[in-house]
Amino acid sequence: MTSAPPTSPARAAFDPYAPAAPASAVRFLYRLNPLAKIAGPAPAMLVLIFTRDIATPLAFLLLAYAILLVGARMTRRLALLLGLAVPGALLALGLGFSVWTDAARVDQSVIVWQIGGWTMYGGALVIGFATAFRLAAIVALALIGGVTTTGPDLVRSLVQQLRVPYRIGYTALAAFRFVPRFGHELEVIRAAHRVRGAHGGRGPIAAIRRWAGYVVPLLAGAIRHAERVALAMDARAFGAHRTRTERYLVPFRARDVVFIALMWAASAGLLWWGFPWQLG
Amino acid sequence: MTRSPLSTRVLLTCAAIGVATGILGGIAGWITAPVLATVPIVYGFVLGAHVLPGIIAQEATHLPWVALISHLVAALVASAIAPPWVFSFLGTAVLFGGIQELVAAMVRYRAWAPWRFFISGFLIGLVVALAVYFAADLDALAPWAQAVYLVLAVLGPIVWTAIGLAVGAALRRAGVARSIRR
Amino acid sequence: MTPAERSPTPLLRIADLAITHEGADAATPADVSFTVAPGEVVLVLGPSGSGKSTLALALNGLIPHAVPAEIAGTVSIAGHTTADTSVAVLSTHVGMVFQDPDAQLVTGTLLDEVAFGVENLLLSEAEVMRRTEDALRRVGLWERRGENPDRLSGGGRQRLAIACALAMGSPLLVLDEPTANLDPAGIDDVYAALGDLVSAGDRAIVLVEHNLDAAIGFVDRVVVLDADGRLVFDGPARETLRAHAARLHDMGVWLPTSTLAALRLQRAGYALHPLPVTPDELRAALAVSPAAEATPAPPTPHTDALADPLIAVRGLTVTRGRQTVLHDVDLSVRRGDFVAVVGANGAGKTTLVQAIAGVIPPPRGRVRIDDIDPGRVHARVLAQRIGFVFQNPEHQFLAHTVFDELAHGLRLQRVPESEVRQRVDEMLERFGLTAKAGIHPFLLSGGQKRRLSVGTALIAGAPIIALDEPTFGQDRARAEELLGLLDALHRDGTTVLVVTHDMQLVAEHATHMAVLREGRLVRHGLTADVFADTALIEAAGLRPPPLATMLSGMTGHPALSGAVRLRDLPGGTA
Ligand SMILES: Nc1ncnc2c1ncn2[C@@H]1O[C@H](COP(=O)(O)OP(=O)(O)OP(=O)(O)O)[C@@H](O)[C@H]1O
Ligand SMILES: Nc1ncnc2c1ncn2[C@@H]1O[C@H](COP(=O)(O)OP(=O)(O)OP(=O)(O)O)[C@@H](O)[C@H]1O
Ligand SMILES: [Mg+2]
Ligand SMILES: [Mg+2]
Repeated sequence: MTSAPPTSPARAAFDPYAPAAPASAVRFLYRLNPLAKIAGPAPAMLVLIFTRDIATPLAFLLLAYAILLVGARMTRRLALLLGLAVPGALLALGLGFSVWTDAARVDQSVIVWQIGGWTMYGGALVIGFATAFRLAAIVALALIGGVTTTGPDLVRSLVQQLRVPYRIGYTALAAFRFVPRFGHELEVIRAAHRVRGAHGGRGPIAAIRRWAGYVVPLLAGAIRHAERVALAMDARAFGAHRTRTERYLVPFRARDVVFIALMWAASAGLLWWGFPWQLG
Repeated sequence: MTRSPLSTRVLLTCAAIGVATGILGGIAGWITAPVLATVPIVYGFVLGAHVLPGIIAQEATHLPWVALISHLVAALVASAIAPPWVFSFLGTAVLFGGIQELVAAMVRYRAWAPWRFFISGFLIGLVVALAVYFAADLDALAPWAQAVYLVLAVLGPIVWTAIGLAVGAALRRAGVARSIRR
Repeated sequence: MTPAERSPTPLLRIADLAITHEGADAATPADVSFTVAPGEVVLVLGPSGSGKSTLALALNGLIPHAVPAEIAGTVSIAGHTTADTSVAVLSTHVGMVFQDPDAQLVTGTLLDEVAFGVENLLLSEAEVMRRTEDALRRVGLWERRGENPDRLSGGGRQRLAIACALAMGSPLLVLDEPTANLDPAGIDDVYAALGDLVSAGDRAIVLVEHNLDAAIGFVDRVVVLDADGRLVFDGPARETLRAHAARLHDMGVWLPTSTLAALRLQRAGYALHPLPVTPDELRAALAVSPAAEATPAPPTPHTDALADPLIAVRGLTVTRGRQTVLHDVDLSVRRGDFVAVVGANGAGKTTLVQAIAGVIPPPRGRVRIDDIDPGRVHARVLAQRIGFVFQNPEHQFLAHTVFDELAHGLRLQRVPESEVRQRVDEMLERFGLTAKAGIHPFLLSGGQKRRLSVGTALIAGAPIIALDEPTFGQDRARAEELLGLLDALHRDGTTVLVVTHDMQLVAEHATHMAVLREGRLVRHGLTADVFADTALIEAAGLRPPPLATMLSGMTGHPALSGAVRLRDLPGGTA
């Protein structure tokens, strides 16, 4: 019987508690249990690790894109991820791995380009892009749950379905509150150390020493804050009983079973179609 | 009334450590793709950074379960920062945290000398080396590159373990979490 | 006869209580016995370190159950001895509100936050909602129940904490300095909520508070601890303060501003009996008291004529993220000024002083200190011009020992090691830290950390020092100590910039005031002139200093009516 919160005009830059904005019924991913969104793609992601061809991961990449385009609301962030980050990474990884591929082990029939004494063979490109597509497919499948689940909901389903003790669940929920605070503290500490001239200078060694200097003040402040929060929670009977009243249920429903079944069936189908996943 | 051995104070200390290291993990997540694209052989070393939550928590508190809890929080926070890596974060959390807990449990949470931490670091290094070997198809690399990769992957968690221990020692010098530690 | 003796069954009974923190060598509190009756409002006073917070934590069993400490004597609440009862059970008898509003938040909305405690009690969902709604309505936050607590002001968050405690249904509420971290509007906000609570009369309250001006209006009784943590006074609030005002003042306990003013006026020959403890009493007493020989207060020397601008800010606009935090600010500070930068939360005070001190590099050419642009010079050069003290001293500590911390600035200047040693030793001596030279800065007490951070800002010889809320989270004694230090520096010619929410502090110490409102500088001028513009002060979300409010419109006493500072009152130095 919780009342719908009034929508707030402005929002902090990072608000892990922000309720998912209302989405139309087509955006079905928001209506699924977070665990279903993990269990559905998980087997495919595991098997993908062992594939070596391009077609299989490409098929899964398209599947993940299709699911995301239909099932998730198109936000700026998702658009950037799907439109820029994934394709960009795919290209960079593909080229990178091709360069690193041992030329002695590939088909040297096609020469793509030559720079000085170094040759890029078509075979190397195939291997490099197979790896890149594989990683891109795995990441895209992870995004299905990753961009449509809030941290608190994931924690709640860990408690409600997987029987993780609620005290640990609420530890994680309280932790989400720490994130913006510590981020801000880190910013202040960096400014303070910079203006005092701590480990100035360029280069990786100076940078490492600078960052090492932030660790103790950041963690010390963090742990002291955590201790105060712990007292406040204890003072409100945290951990009094084996269970507590749950007002937010994150149910596991028939639709979750259907989603998992469909994902597994689709995965099996695609894997069967692509078998034996060897480089052609 | 049965009282869990883990007080709220210990739990939230783990949360604090998890958040601080999770922010780091999130950043490591975002640099994963550039690292893989340019120098894949050092990836195992980067992945080793994920041992930190457990090491710092164990070193700060000397208690059971703290490694696993800190890892879990770190994974959740890192996922919020870099959602594409949710699975890898959760996976490493369970795996690394599990290994660290197991090694601590084998000595019945009594021995906390550095060697004990390095055993878990070494085990984690082996697991990392194997997992990444398959996922990134390092088979296709030149033999020298494979060798460098393997050495770095095993060395990574060990070096990061040493860094975690140094952080723990620095925190102790600063008098943090003193009264929790057994 | 105290009210507790009248009541047959006290709600809370403390007998011979002594608490020794793990690793501490003396007990604080050391020997405390008192009782609290249902519905009673008790104020706990004592100098810093007397064990007030420790006492508060013992009332619901957090000591000894959650904080390692040794406890002698007993605390019993509604018949339960805290040592033998779990904190969870005790939480339904004692609700707690702590000092830092941020450290009491667990969930993502106001509603969830209040429900959190009730849910732990495993009550039905309907009961959880009933209690939550009731508690939120009592503090006036029900309409905002769906919002993230981060979006409340400091005062709002503290009201939320009170609602959380109320929802537990406990007949006793314990508040430990609930307004210590708030701006003036926030303090009013919290005391309005507490006032409502007291007038409803259904809860007993134990309040630890330094800010007596606000609290004295509704407390029934005071309990006073001395520096060693022993109970020295326990009696009706006003009578006790009246009877022992001088003694309390000497102990380092903060008194209401009206009482401080009255003590001073008595010395000047005003007949004020009985000694006033509230603004109303002061005004009433003054109304019937014949005006004493008016010895006009010596005018404070201002340094205006002395010098040329040392800090010049011209058209400074600062954006952070996508937000414009400062709009086109112009500010000139002359050598020897003591400038207070004031404004509501989020007005841009921190941003302004940080831009001046080069902590966030200002846009090119917008800020000049002396002959440099603070955003464009090396830390070494900057440190010779301006020292900056961060709100939390721990943020700026770099070294592993107090000595190295002070030496850092000098080593950066490439001062020879023998001279470093000599100058650091001088600084240690001056700040009373000689015995701590070898220990880690984080192991110092709060007051010592603050002194060290001021020392690091000064050691390179900067003629300007800027401090961001230096009294934040500090008790009065430490705040006074720091302000004494700033006054001394100011007398020696140092230019001081300080961000603060404490208007009496501004009135007592600052020569000039810069008022910020929503990122714009709306006024900069002599402190007295700015305070005289009450409309402006009100519009900027500030309050006039308590003394000025009390004495405004006192027609019978022309010598007093314009006073804003205690030292403006007749009565000599005290
Ligand atoms: N967790 C702790 N461990 C060890 N000593 C502590 C701890 N908390 C407080 N103390 C010490 O106990 C004494 C009493 O502290 P407490 O915080 O109760 O004082 P207080 O009266 O509330 O002071 P203030 O007015 O500064 O808040 C101090 O000497 C303090 O240093
Ligand atoms: N790094 C940042 N990124 C984005 N916005 C910021 C940043 N720092 C400050 N702000 C915003 O700028 C505004 C002014 O902040 P500032 O800290 O200067 O205010 P203040 O007057 O010091 O407030 P307070 O009394 O709360 O300390 C606030 O609205 C704040 O949210
Ligand atoms: Mg206190
Ligand atoms: Mg500020």
